[in-house]
Amino acid sequence: MYKIPLSMSLLGLFLGLIILPTVGLADLNIYSHRQPFLISPFIEAYEKESGTKVNIVYASKGLAQRLQAEGELSPADVILTVDIARLSVYADKDLLAVVQSSLLENSIPPHLRDKDNKWFAFSKRARVIAVSKQSSDVNNIKDYEDLSNKEWEGRICSRPGSHVYNRALLASILHAHGYEKAKKWAKSLRDNFARRPQGNDRAQVKAIQEGICDIAIINHYYYGKLKFSEKVEHRSWADNVDIIFPNQGNRGTHINISGGGVAKHSKNKKEAVKFLEFLISDKAQELYASINFEYPVRTDVPLSEELASWGKFKEDKMPIGKIAVLAPEAQKIIDVIGW
Amino acid sequence: MFSQVIKDNFLGLRSNGWQTLALLFTLVLLAPIVAIFYVASGNSEGLWEHLIDSVIPRYVLNTLGLMLGVAIVSLIFGVSTAWIVVKYDFKFRRVFEWLLLLPAAIPAYLIAYTYADFLEFSGPIQTGIRWLFGWEKATDYWFPEIRSLPGACILMGAVLYPYVYVMARVSFLLIPSSFFDVGLLANRNIFIAVALPIARPAIAAGLALVLMETVSDFGVVEYFAIETLTLGIFNVWLGMNNITAAAQIACLCFVFIILLIAMEVISRARQKFADTTKKSKSISPTKLSGLKVAGCWIVCCLPIIIGFFLPVGVLLGFIVKGYSVDLNVELGAAALNSLLIGISVACLVLFLSSVMLFTANYKGDFLMRRLVGLASIGYAFPGTILAIGVVSVFGHLDAAIAGIFSNFFNLKYSGWFGSGIGLIIVACVVRFQAVGYGAVSRGLNQIPKNVVEASQLLGANFFDRSVKIVLPMIRLSILAGGLLVFVDVMKELPMALLLRPFNFETLATYLYQFAKDELLEEAALPALMIVITGVIPVIFLNYTVNRLTRT
Repeated sequence: MYKIPLSMSLLGLFLGLIILPTVGLADLNIYSHRQPFLISPFIEAYEKESGTKVNIVYASKGLAQRLQAEGELSPADVILTVDIARLSVYADKDLLAVVQSSLLENSIPPHLRDKDNKWFAFSKRARVIAVSKQSSDVNNIKDYEDLSNKEWEGRICSRPGSHVYNRALLASILHAHGYEKAKKWAKSLRDNFARRPQGNDRAQVKAIQEGICDIAIINHYYYGKLKFSEKVEHRSWADNVDIIFPNQGNRGTHINISGGGVAKHSKNKKEAVKFLEFLISDKAQELYASINFEYPVRTDVPLSEELASWGKFKEDKMPIGKIAVLAPEAQKIIDVIGW
Repeated sequence: MFSQVIKDNFLGLRSNGWQTLALLFTLVLLAPIVAIFYVASGNSEGLWEHLIDSVIPRYVLNTLGLMLGVAIVSLIFGVSTAWIVVKYDFKFRRVFEWLLLLPAAIPAYLIAYTYADFLEFSGPIQTGIRWLFGWEKATDYWFPEIRSLPGACILMGAVLYPYVYVMARVSFLLIPSSFFDVGLLANRNIFIAVALPIARPAIAAGLALVLMETVSDFGVVEYFAIETLTLGIFNVWLGMNNITAAAQIACLCFVFIILLIAMEVISRARQKFADTTKKSKSISPTKLSGLKVAGCWIVCCLPIIIGFFLPVGVLLGFIVKGYSVDLNVELGAAALNSLLIGISVACLVLFLSSVMLFTANYKGDFLMRRLVGLASIGYAFPGTILAIGVVSVFGHLDAAIAGIFSNFFNLKYSGWFGSGIGLIIVACVVRFQAVGYGAVSRGLNQIPKNVVEASQLLGANFFDRSVKIVLPMIRLSILAGGLLVFVDVMKELPMALLLRPFNFETLATYLYQFAKDELLEEAALPALMIVITGVIPVIFLNYTVNRLTRT
């Protein structure tokens, strides 16, 4: 009979484990799609400023489903994401609260926030073209559309099309040119690839240095991260490329955003709005640039010296929410052509 | 009888606690899977036409290719080495016996990251080749692409083969030496004519686990950009914002898995008559010398180097170069959290599978045995999808409890499952039940039925029989299963990532925030900690295998 205590103690252990202390009521709870090491400087600054304790869960996928399943009992107050499509999923599922804040409305340009005030962008990232310094003809590239020209056959590198950044880019092209032209562009682009799409944006810059290709489509901040990396090797990749902001003569460079909103069932909505407002304060807007080389959404905040040195660029001002609407269609094209 | 159980228990006619408990556990384990099927039953808005026209053929072919490739690699590595350490006696044989288990401690995503780093353009191999031949650019020469289907097959095979190795080795050791004598008299190759046919069911069981892990893998196929069904699930879910169609693809994967399970069940049935009495002597190894010893070393070293020493070497290299984060408080807490989850999941899985299998085997009917087997199907789903199933079920449960509390007692209930690590534990139990189930049922298969029947005649009740007779006889199988579950949980990433409470890291989630950005070198230390905590139980596992077969 000595086994009873054992099995009972196992059960006891289990019960003990799941009744862990819950988070404090006055805390601010964040569900984040942004990695902790990118978000923690903001958290620290906010905690210092407001005295509120901030708790955070980070996951790359499934947080919207988790929030939905938790329903009214969800502890989440603020949602942060790094892509408009992910952000609008929360809005589509009716998981976000309407936020009344004239500060947010006045500071963020209209194309970078939800018309119903459920989500807001806080920083911008541009999808740029990195070109090898070793070849001169690549400087003729002016627009995304140029990448589909036959002359670049075997010279372009890209991460898989199904990644959110590429899907969003294709969605912007869908918006500009419609289905047929967008599909043709994507197909010709794919035909120009030097290798099977793989790796992340950083890996594409590396491939240029390795001589695999001369042209890559990357998010602009990867260039900054590599240029100022602690690793000599990374810095040498960046030294080897120039970046081109495409479509300056027409609609502007495609941008994506990092943004957020307030959870519908937040028990702490006031604090949650305060946190969003903090994210567009001078201090936080500058942090975006200094931590991750992202562009602030506020136009009146001066760019950091480094970002300023890359030059001003014209951005595609299509309503950013449209990207999310067109993303499924973009994914279909990606499926069909095999990017 | 099964319907009788339901009637007896739920209508309160007669109490039969054990069956009710086993049934309850089965329900808990199956609930998240039912939830996934429920999601899949929704309307996918005609997406399938598009999917079948475009990607599904590719997904299916790649998935089959990956399964086939991983199966071949893990069979070659697992069976050849198991046979060598059983059949031959050579210097360091006893060391190889446990070294061969070490790759089980390496998560598949980790081996993918380390090899991509090792074999890429700027890695030591290619740099060496360029230096040797005076080449400069990647286009100057050809080098096999590690981020490819063959690359994934070799790497996944190299960390998954220990499942096959363990099963094959135990099975070879349990074959009575007289069988081999007969083979020799008949002038046949004893490996092909005797060992393989008898060990086949055990090898198939190991292979089924390997393949389930292969089908549900996301880390490696994403990193290598191999379009398998699992990668497709995520493209459809996140790219097309269509979780219904994604769940439907997950259920398609499930068909692959059901076929595998059928394979395992059939092989178990065959195992019954292949089962041997423990009294018989197992084969006595042939002493080798000279070149043949070197041959054995090479065959045994290859999988260990590929699957363990090289990736560990790469990680150590990062640490020595100072690229990794240093040991800090956060990392220590993450390690403790991993241990805590690993140990509790292992204990729970063993408790659940013991109760369920004892009851099904000695008190249950056919239907109950099948249901209990079905409850170990969680292994077949990609972690994130299973996690969504778990959170849906328990979210609703929480909501229901909250409703009852506020309506009947006027109390405020702020959610129980969502706040702690309960959900991670439940999810891990659902996923790794297959491992515990396999271990306990193999143990039970080895108990002669007459022993149990005798005790029944002597008037022992079910609980006494289970605890005093059955449990001690299979304790080593149980221990081995628990160790495997523990190692699996230490490596587990996607479920912990999604289901964890605020400010909570395990070693794997800590590693992920860097690995996601292809900055593995910064996470080399936590990666190595996962491996080390996995190595200890793996070595212990070898001890239990030896005890199992040599007493």
